[in-house]
Amino acid sequence: MAIEYGLNEEQEMLKTMARDFLANECPTTRVRQLMEDDTGFDADLWKKMAEVGWLGLVLPEEYGGSGMNFRDLTILCEEMGRTVLPGPFISTLLLVGVPLLAYGTEEQKSEILPKIASGEAVCTLAALEEDGDWWADSINLRADYRGGHYVINGTKLFVPDAKVADYMLIAARTKRTANPEEGITLFLLDTREVFGTMSTVLKTMDETRKLYEVVFLNVPIPAQNILGEVHQGWPIMKQIALHTAAALCAEMVGAGEKVLEMTVDYLKERIAFGVPIGSFQALQHRAADLVIGLEYSRSLMEWAAEAIKENHPDTATAVAMAKSFCGDTCKKVVAEGIQMHGGIGFTWDHDMHLYFKRVWADDNAFGDSNYQREVVAKALDEIHQLSGGGRWMKTSGRLTPMG
Amino acid sequence: MAEEEPGKLEALRQEVRAWLKESLPEGWGSPGYVAPERGSKEAHELGKAWQKKLYDAGYTGFGIPTEYGGVERPREEVAVIREELQRTGTPPPAGSLGPMIVIPTLLRYGNEEQKKRFIPKILNAEESWCECFSEPDAGSDLANIQKTGVRDGDEWIVNGQSVWTSGSKYADWGVVPVKTDLNAPRHRNLSYFVFDCTSPGFEVRPLKQMTGDAEFSETFFDNVRIPHANMIGEEGQGWYVAMATLEAERGGGIQFVAPSRRLEPTTLGGVDIYVELAKNTKRRGRIVWDDPLFRQRIAQFAIENEAMKHSRERMRVKAMKRQLTGNEQSIGSIFSREKNQRQANMVAEIMGANIQFMRGDPRALDDGSWTYTFLRTRGNTIETGTTEILRGIIAERMLGLPRSRG
Repeated sequence: MAIEYGLNEEQEMLKTMARDFLANECPTTRVRQLMEDDTGFDADLWKKMAEVGWLGLVLPEEYGGSGMNFRDLTILCEEMGRTVLPGPFISTLLLVGVPLLAYGTEEQKSEILPKIASGEAVCTLAALEEDGDWWADSINLRADYRGGHYVINGTKLFVPDAKVADYMLIAARTKRTANPEEGITLFLLDTREVFGTMSTVLKTMDETRKLYEVVFLNVPIPAQNILGEVHQGWPIMKQIALHTAAALCAEMVGAGEKVLEMTVDYLKERIAFGVPIGSFQALQHRAADLVIGLEYSRSLMEWAAEAIKENHPDTATAVAMAKSFCGDTCKKVVAEGIQMHGGIGFTWDHDMHLYFKRVWADDNAFGDSNYQREVVAKALDEIHQLSGGGRWMKTSGRLTPMG
Repeated sequence: MAEEEPGKLEALRQEVRAWLKESLPEGWGSPGYVAPERGSKEAHELGKAWQKKLYDAGYTGFGIPTEYGGVERPREEVAVIREELQRTGTPPPAGSLGPMIVIPTLLRYGNEEQKKRFIPKILNAEESWCECFSEPDAGSDLANIQKTGVRDGDEWIVNGQSVWTSGSKYADWGVVPVKTDLNAPRHRNLSYFVFDCTSPGFEVRPLKQMTGDAEFSETFFDNVRIPHANMIGEEGQGWYVAMATLEAERGGGIQFVAPSRRLEPTTLGGVDIYVELAKNTKRRGRIVWDDPLFRQRIAQFAIENEAMKHSRERMRVKAMKRQLTGNEQSIGSIFSREKNQRQANMVAEIMGANIQFMRGDPRALDDGSWTYTFLRTRGNTIETGTTEILRGIIAERMLGLPRSRG
């Protein structure tokens, strides 16, 4: 196997099927109905998604999955971005399904993964707390050991799809040392069996993806429900962030491409001063800039997905680069989409704002473009130190700024 | 495609490294080395000699049919060769216009005789080329070319003037679109020729640009006689042949050119040179790399370079599937040229007052090459079609927006 660019025949089919399926099952008129609902969850649609094999797409066949790869998964995410699909797809598959497959015990996997694939189990991850930032230091939710089991107390914020989640993966603090990445433990909670959690939907900007406050009050979790090792949850969370960030890149690119298409259609149709506004160079050039931005967003997004698929040594940097660039670009695309639509693009009834809000939420999730750029800068620093540095200056002229 | 065994590629890598050690000009890359002045005859000869060495070693000329002197190699090997050349940094090949624009144009529109006559001598650097396209009143509006050609037996008599002629100082041959039908409408009135630069009546006058160099020229055609056999494509088809040349210049032809330092990213992101600069520069006592504003900008260029690399791969795959129209090259052309400018701006801001020093001042860093690049990149967004023209191509030909002009 190798890094593959573009889509192969099967992937083209998957893409076409996904586009048709979502156009039929969840057009934006339906999205708007789901926005009105506290859960944004459509049980019938979820069932259909299970039937076409999406919910177990990257899970092995032994757990009822389809055994497809990460690049295939991002094709679905692109299409879901195009329709601003509500619901717990990313929560279930990327926040829980994929890490469970990688780090779970056989018992955990055989209990939950088949239910994910069949659509019986919705899952989510409770990670963020009140500062809303994805970093180890902010994880303070307490999990106290009480002989054989842990008791969880505290509050999580920005938890997606909490109310419909059958299983919740919880990042809790089991030990506090000077290193905040030490002492985080991931717990799997069966929300149907255990009482003591209360989820309240948050009034948030992007209503296509519901977020909750989850309060834990003396919630007991058996020690065998730990994912991975005790105190060693952060490396797993980093892996979750990596995969989910790549999936969100795909979602942003899908949304961005759809917005560009809608905008170009509008530029052709809308008449002002007696001509289609798309004949104005000022708008043509802005539309061209979006084409450029999306080409490079797609290039980095595909590279990041392929890197994950191939377990490439540069995966972490690839994802950081993709998330940074896709975030910056797609934020620009959705803003320009509104501007080029003029007044109509600013109304509630037009779909532009759905894309605008989703893309800004996606950019922020798991590290925004500025954060990711800093990740890249750190990687550059490491490479520079590894290579010894100094090569260029030694071959250069007489001025050495360091003196 | 069969996978190359890694051992074979590694052996090639060592072979190229050893070859480079032996073949690079005396002292190249060492601290005391002073390169010949940019644009000088000496620099031109150095570049020609280097291109010939590369070609003789089989390290350039890829993707061109072997019957015209091209070199056949598996893609993986080509990648290794390019990586090694870039990593080391080599003299810029002289007369890169030949491989970059003339070969693709000939391959597309030249007849068998023309291809056999011209392509091999471009590849081995025996003949250098110039491009007589822009005129004082035909820059972005290239179709407005006013040079005339009148048929006289087996020859055409050409009169007129070009400006911004690239590569003309030391060129042996040139390409020129000429108005051969005064009555035909725009886009159907031109024919495209190759001509011998020693022809009587052809005159070159250097044109000094804002860098202080005269990289370009004004060229004059005073009853220059060009044989009819030198017409590329059909009579009246010159606009389309010229478009093929521009397409190649805007991105497609790059693959034929042997890379030199800084043209392409080398290590991850290809910004090690900026990291190095930022880490070795202090502004008001603070190391520039420690300033998040600059660090973020440098990281952004690493991201953009990586994006360009993967976009090129995407385009390559699309080209194989015949999904490209040629208009896509505008994307890379705009992005890379504007990026060059933004990078140069950043360097100037890192260096502060020191960006003032040009070649010739002993304080100039890297012999003034940073300052030169800073100034030279102003032309990047104009030459081969302004970025405005290219944005128009994306808008109208790729997005299908209505024409903005009548």
